[in-house]
Amino acid sequence: MRRYVFGRVGQVILTLLIYITLVYFLLQAMPGDITMMYLSNPKIPQAAREELRSQLGLDQSLFIQYVSYMKNFFRGELGVSFSQYPKPVWDILMEKLPRTFVLFLTANILSFYIGFVLGKVIAWRRGKIIDHAATVVGITFWTAFYPLLALVVIWIFAYNLKWLPLNQFIDPRLWTAAPFTANQVFGNMVCGAAIVAIGIFLIFFYLLRGLKPSRRSRVYAWSATAALIAAVVFVAVRKGMLIYIWDITRHMILPVLTLTLINFAGTMLLMRDSMLETVQEDYVLAARAKGLPDRVVRDRYAARTALLPTVTSLVLSLASSMSGGMVTETMFSWPGLGQTLFTAALANDYPLATGALAFTGIFLLIAHFIADILYAVLDPRITYTGQSGI
Amino acid sequence: MDTLLRLEDLTMHYKTKAGWVQAIDGVSFSLNKGQSLGLVGESGCGKTSIAMSLMRLLPNNAKLVRGRVLFGGQDLYALSDEEIRKLRWKKIAMIFQAAMNSLNPVYSVGNQIIEAILTHEPETSEEEARERVKSLFELVGIPAERMGHYPHEYSGGMKQRAVIAMALACRPSLIIADEPTTALDVIVQDKILREIEDIRCKINMSMIYISHDVSVIAEVSDVVGVMYAGKLLELGPADDVFKKPRNPYTYSLMYAYPSILGEKHDLVTIPGEPPNLLAPPAGCRFHPRCDWATKECAKVEPVWHEIANGHYLACHNPIRTEAVKPCVEQVAATGNAQVAATGTVTEMHQVTAKGGDGNGASGSN
Repeated sequence: MRRYVFGRVGQVILTLLIYITLVYFLLQAMPGDITMMYLSNPKIPQAAREELRSQLGLDQSLFIQYVSYMKNFFRGELGVSFSQYPKPVWDILMEKLPRTFVLFLTANILSFYIGFVLGKVIAWRRGKIIDHAATVVGITFWTAFYPLLALVVIWIFAYNLKWLPLNQFIDPRLWTAAPFTANQVFGNMVCGAAIVAIGIFLIFFYLLRGLKPSRRSRVYAWSATAALIAAVVFVAVRKGMLIYIWDITRHMILPVLTLTLINFAGTMLLMRDSMLETVQEDYVLAARAKGLPDRVVRDRYAARTALLPTVTSLVLSLASSMSGGMVTETMFSWPGLGQTLFTAALANDYPLATGALAFTGIFLLIAHFIADILYAVLDPRITYTGQSGI
Repeated sequence: MDTLLRLEDLTMHYKTKAGWVQAIDGVSFSLNKGQSLGLVGESGCGKTSIAMSLMRLLPNNAKLVRGRVLFGGQDLYALSDEEIRKLRWKKIAMIFQAAMNSLNPVYSVGNQIIEAILTHEPETSEEEARERVKSLFELVGIPAERMGHYPHEYSGGMKQRAVIAMALACRPSLIIADEPTTALDVIVQDKILREIEDIRCKINMSMIYISHDVSVIAEVSDVVGVMYAGKLLELGPADDVFKKPRNPYTYSLMYAYPSILGEKHDLVTIPGEPPNLLAPPAGCRFHPRCDWATKECAKVEPVWHEIANGHYLACHNPIRTEAVKPCVEQVAATGNAQVAATGTVTEMHQVTAKGGDGNGASGSN
C-alpha cells in the first residue's frame, strides 16, 4: 500500500509538470500581451511600452520565460499579477481558492448524496412511478443549458420570492461596519464546518461500529453530535460572527442549489445502473433468504457493492463542475478561482491565469488520488501491492 | 412421525414474453421431521423453482396458480411479508447452488453469519453470536480465526463450508440444499456430503437435497423424488426407488451414470432434450423421450398415485421389477444401450399393455 501511494504521488507530480507546460504555452499562444491595453493611450509612448515589457520579462524568448517560470513554480513562486500589479499571484489565489473549493465541494457532496440515495431507491423499485419520475426530472436538469438554469433559479428565488440574495459573496451593506474582513469570517466558518464534519465522523465511527450498536451508544452518538454543533455555534456567537456567517451561507445557497440540480442525475443514473446489476447477484438473493429486512438487503447488500463504481463519478463530477466553475462563478458573481481565471485571461494576465489553471489541475489530480485510495478502503478485494504496475 | 412440510398440488408458472412457463405442475409430497428428501432430475426441470417457492423467494414474474405449501401446518402463502421474512432462515434455511457467489464480497464472512443470528434472535448479544459462529466454524471444519476474513480470501471448498455454517446458524428445522457441491471436486464433495449428513443426524434436522447427480442423492437421502419437466414422476424410499425403479425416467437416469466400482457397462443415454415448458407435451411429459411410451401416454396424463407404502408414481407403463434385471444384463452384454432399451420395450408392452389400455379408456371417458 505504501509503495503504491508513493508511486502514485510520483505520477501525480509528473502529470502536473506536463499539465503546467501545456497550460503555459496555451496561454502564451493568445495574441498580444498586457501592454496591448496601453496601445490606444496616446500618453504612453512606444518606448515606455517597451520598457514595461522588459520589466515584466516579456521581451525574453519564450523558452527562457518558460524555464524560469517552471523553476519558480516548483519553488512555490507564481509571480506577480500583471493586472493587479504588484499583488503576488499566490496571495490572490489563496484568497479565492477556499471560496471555490468550499462552494464546489458542498455542491458535489450534496449532489452525490442525493444521486446515490435516489439511484438506490429507484433501482430497488424499478419500473414503478418513482423510477420514471426521478429519471425524467433528473435527465431534464442534467441536459438543461446551465446558464439558463442559473438565471431561472435566480429569477424564482431571488427576484420573485426574494428569499435569497441575487448574487455576490456577501451583502456589502451589512459588512461596512463589520469588525472582521470577509476572509476572516469565511476562514472561521470553514474551520467550524470541518470540525463538525470530522467530529461527527469520529463519533459515529467509534460509537456505532459493530453489527449491533446498543441503544445507549446510539443515544451517546446523537447527543455528542448535538453538543459538538452547539459548541461550534456558541463559539461563533461569542466571537460575534454568527450574523456574518449566516450572510455568507445565504449567498452560497443558490449556486449550490443550481449545481446540485444540474449534477445529481449523473450519479443517480450511474447508481441505478450499477445497482440493477448487483440486485441480480446471488448474495442479494441469499440475503433475502436469510430473512434480513428489505432495507438491510437494499442498503448493506445491493447498494453497498453498487457504490464502488459510483465513487469514480464523484471524482468525475468534481472535475466537470470545476471546469464549469467559471460559468457558475460568473453567473452568481462569486469571487472565486473561476471568475479570477476569466478576468485574468481577458486581461492577458499570464501569471494569474496560469496560476489559476494550475490550481484547477492540482485540485483534480488530488481528487483522483483520493478516489484511488477510497476505492481500496471501500472494496476489500482491491489491494495495492505496488508490484502490479500501477 | 410428524409431518414438517407438505406440498399440495403446488403449481407455479413464470410469466415471460413468450407466454407462461409451467415450471412446477401439480407437485405433492410431504416430509417428516428429521427426514431427508432428495430431488433429482435434469437441469431446468423445476428443482430450484421448488426450493425457491418453499422459501417464498420467487421472482416477480412467478405466479402461484394453485396448491399450498404447508410448513408445520401453516400455509406459507397465507403469511404476510413480515411473517415470512421472520420465518426464513429461522425455520427454513438454504444452502445455495452458487455458494461461491452467495457471500457478500465486502463484508467479512463471520459478520455475515452473525448478522443472520442477530436479525432472528435480537436478544442475543454480539459476543454470544460471535461465539456461536466460532463453534459453527469448528463444526464445518474452518479454523475460527478465518471469521474476520473476506470471501475472496477463502477457497471454493471453504466458501461452501462457510455457507453451510451460515445455513445452520439459526438452527432451522429444514434446510434446503440446492446443488451445494456441484462446483466442487469429488473429494471435497464427498467430505462435505458426509459432514452435512453428520450434522443433520446430530441435530435432527429435515433436509431437502437437490441435485442432478443420482449418486449424490443416493448417498444423502431417505426419500427420493424424481422430477421431470416440472412434474414429479416418482417418489419413494431411497431403497425402493433405486433398487426397483418403476418409472422409465428414473430407470434411465440411474443408468445414465457411470459406476466406478461395479461392472463396466455402457451408459444408457436418454435421447432428446427436456421439453420446452412454454408448451409441454400433452399426456405424460416424458413420453416423447420414453422408450416404453404407448399411444395413450401421448394423450392422457398419468395419475399420481401410491403404489406401495410411501412409494408414489405417475406412469401408465411402470417397469415391472422382473423386466429390469435382464435389461441391465443385456446392456452390459451387447454394449448398445439404445438397442438394449428398445429391445425390452416390446417385452414391457406385453406385460403392461392390459393395465395401460384400461387406464386410457377410463381417462378418455
